[in-house]
Amino acid sequence: MEQRLRSEVKALLEQGKIDRVIGFEPGSLKFTTTPLITSDGGDVDHLVINPFIVNNLSVYLTGTSGRVGIVAKGCDSRSIVSLIQDNKVLRENVVIIGIPCSGVIDLTKVERLAGKDRDELDDIVRQGDKITVTVGGERKEFPASEVLFDNCLGCEFPTPREYDILLDEPVTPTPDKAISEQKLDSLREMPPEQRWQFWKEEFSRCIRCYACRNVCPACFCERCFVEESEPQWVLPVPRWQDNLIFQVIRSIHVAGRCTDCGECERACPVNIPLRSLTREMCNLAEELFNYKVGIDKEAPPLFVAYELEEAEDLIR
Amino acid sequence: MTTDVSQRFLARDNVYLPHIAVIEKIIDETPGVVTLHFNFKDEKLREEFTFKPGQFGEYSVFGIGEATFCISSSPTRRDHLEFAVQRVGKVTNALHRLDVGSEMGFRGPYGNGFPLDSFAGKNLVFVAGGIGLAPLRSLIWNVIDDRDKYEKIDIVYGARSPADLCFKYDLDAWGNDSSINMVTTVDKGDASWTGREGFVPQVLEQAAPSARNAVAIVCGPPIMIRFTFPVLEKLGFTPEQMFTTLEKRMKCGIGKCGRCNIGNLYVCRDGPVFSFAQIKGFISSEY
Amino acid sequence: MADSKRINKEDTGRLLDEWSKEFSVSVPSRENGMPAMLPWDGKDTSFLEWYRNTVIPPKANFFPPYEKMFDFQKGAEGYHLELPPSDKQKQLIFGIRPCDARALTILDTVFQDTYQDPYYLSRRANTVLVGLGCTNPYDSCFCTSLGISPGESTDVDLMFTDTGDGFFIEPVSDKGRELLAATGGLEDGLEADEARAKDVKEAAYRKITRRIDTGDIQQRLAACFENQDYWEKVAAKCVSCGICTFLCPTCYCFDINDELSQDEGTRFRSWDSCSFPIYTRMPMENPRQEKWRRVRQKVCHKYWFYPVNLDITACTGCGRCIRLCPVNWDITQTLNNLPASS
Repeated sequence: MEQRLRSEVKALLEQGKIDRVIGFEPGSLKFTTTPLITSDGGDVDHLVINPFIVNNLSVYLTGTSGRVGIVAKGCDSRSIVSLIQDNKVLRENVVIIGIPCSGVIDLTKVERLAGKDRDELDDIVRQGDKITVTVGGERKEFPASEVLFDNCLGCEFPTPREYDILLDEPVTPTPDKAISEQKLDSLREMPPEQRWQFWKEEFSRCIRCYACRNVCPACFCERCFVEESEPQWVLPVPRWQDNLIFQVIRSIHVAGRCTDCGECERACPVNIPLRSLTREMCNLAEELFNYKVGIDKEAPPLFVAYELEEAEDLIR
Repeated sequence: MTTDVSQRFLARDNVYLPHIAVIEKIIDETPGVVTLHFNFKDEKLREEFTFKPGQFGEYSVFGIGEATFCISSSPTRRDHLEFAVQRVGKVTNALHRLDVGSEMGFRGPYGNGFPLDSFAGKNLVFVAGGIGLAPLRSLIWNVIDDRDKYEKIDIVYGARSPADLCFKYDLDAWGNDSSINMVTTVDKGDASWTGREGFVPQVLEQAAPSARNAVAIVCGPPIMIRFTFPVLEKLGFTPEQMFTTLEKRMKCGIGKCGRCNIGNLYVCRDGPVFSFAQIKGFISSEY
Repeated sequence: MADSKRINKEDTGRLLDEWSKEFSVSVPSRENGMPAMLPWDGKDTSFLEWYRNTVIPPKANFFPPYEKMFDFQKGAEGYHLELPPSDKQKQLIFGIRPCDARALTILDTVFQDTYQDPYYLSRRANTVLVGLGCTNPYDSCFCTSLGISPGESTDVDLMFTDTGDGFFIEPVSDKGRELLAATGGLEDGLEADEARAKDVKEAAYRKITRRIDTGDIQQRLAACFENQDYWEKVAAKCVSCGICTFLCPTCYCFDINDELSQDEGTRFRSWDSCSFPIYTRMPMENPRQEKWRRVRQKVCHKYWFYPVNLDITACTGCGRCIRLCPVNWDITQTLNNLPASS
């Protein structure tokens, strides 16, 4: 896949079909990749595809000018479609280079299983459904279901549906909602008081770095409501109440745009389980409106359209 | 801890704790600008408070926040203090809503102020645009009250329109002062405007004050400042002879909160008054 | 070594217990996997097993993410302001790493510059720092490039070195010497401990392989300041979140905001970041609206502006900004790839 990716991108650049490419290159730390945004054909050989391509690169699309080639996993391609639906991106300005994706490795899970931090591990190798971790010369094998990100384990669309180039054969989806939504299920089972206490504690750690918002392609507002001063909806003071309000409003704002890429939760430096909020929004969009995000670029965005049969009678 | 009796002590102890001040008079300058006259509630502080022209304060509307303004009155006129506020955001809107008798908070004076001593014996050229006259006004009145110490005074002041001219009472007073060469201009006049039309840098170039034994003091919107320095250079002013006072977003006013720097210079800590020589390395790219 | 002491690791809890009588003791603790220096619960010393460094830097113990500056109340006589009660409780932070201790020395300079910052400085004056040398630095650490040795510190009061079964304890400051003299149940340090500690310190130093070239760094940054192409290139992948600055042990920028309900309210200060466009936004213009200007400011501030103004580089090489960045933006690459001045 990697070789094909490089030759495709090289050709696209040479033929002037794209001005720049957004992909992944090796990161500066072990088991890390980093976004590569370049118009330089010389950089193309740095492009990689491996089980560590965590970022949803579509977050860069709205800030990148010209015609752009973009490397996209299943969830990323749906984010791009959602941006097209919202008129933030023009379809003809992007060349989507699709990666049929069988999931991305969650290093935090690997660390927990191996009992070591990522920089102390010698190697992590994926072969099909097995992931082999080498620590201090000792090899340990784990099933992918224990090591992939929660959102990957529930993924219904691992292969991009919207693409210009697909780098490999489609991957058969094997979503396991039960495993993927384990954390969310445990929250659902809590009595409301306990759940309130849970979120209160989680949000008391939030430092309002806004990494969750800034890595999110669905958070494309040019001016976020948290930065408004007149009226000031929420103080830029990281008290748990303000943090909770920020995140609840953000979750609602991304409902119908969130593709469950999991980037908000992964980026959070203080381990707040944000995906439990955004995943629930995806579930609600499906349950209430039968809407799955990023499937149809011609469809109006969820909250732009309504139908007379809809449950909500507020509008009628 | 009560603050009524120990306000001054506390304020000195904790630099972030404002003095309580009372609004004594409000002057409508232009549709968006008011001048507020105020005095400290604490009588002792009222007597002891000193400042230099060009210094600034942090003004609080409690519950809304703090904002930064220079003190626009002269230290030589100590009956009260003044500052001018353009309505542009949350705090400035709240300041515009204050009435005579309202209380606000004041921290300061902060910043370096103008190097008055080094101006003695020199010709002074003041160039200002819009509300940018506020800090220069403090200096101009100070100089007028010490008139013998300085040589020629030129003032070039402009605004977008006649309605945008601030401190019209001062403009009249300076225009009538035979020891001052006063030029007022507007970018575009209206039906009743009989004065000069033209942008400040152009009018300055026409007025062509001599650079010999002179310093120029410039304040206005960034675009005006950017176009004024080249004109002064053309007139023979060296970067060391040109001064400006800068405005940046500020929170603390005392060199801690971070944001107001231009290169390594902090507008609150090292300014707000700078010679062009100090800032010209950064001016093209950060100001 | 004359003043040195030793303690077996299993006695660490007992020692913290003793110190807890006089101090509010903070130790490395995890909340949902996120390590910070938090009040010791009186039992748990498991951090001795897992602790490498915290995510939240110890600056937060002196300059918290938010704090109350004062309350205000409007009454018949006008406004009444009230400071929060000053915290007289003495603090002890156990286990601070040499990089983070240096960071406090760096922060001292700005919080004391011309005007004294009462909130930070009072906590600083009330606190004893007990350092714990690194034995297992991260691959993102580059402290040795900033003149810091991961096993040693001049910025703490007491220094602990892990000698395997126990700790070798050295006083660094007078405060530390006094504390050590007043602490019971410690054995005198042995020559063998000192020799072992020396080996441990040297081994830790050798483990740091990431480097930045600090030679002429101010000149090289100055020469590159106007190089928009370079800054645009290095800034391209930055998402402008606050992680690298908020979690930097030396970043100190803050915001001030008021909260009002009826006639009373509170003024807060909270962490702010030069990564955010709003940080410098003014009604009419924003000098750092573009991302490359903000990235340039962050880098130049740490290695050029801060040292020019306050005589010390505002970076300790702790590596948090690299390890915690969601897009792996790496300041060491930005510095090492600076175009040579032409």
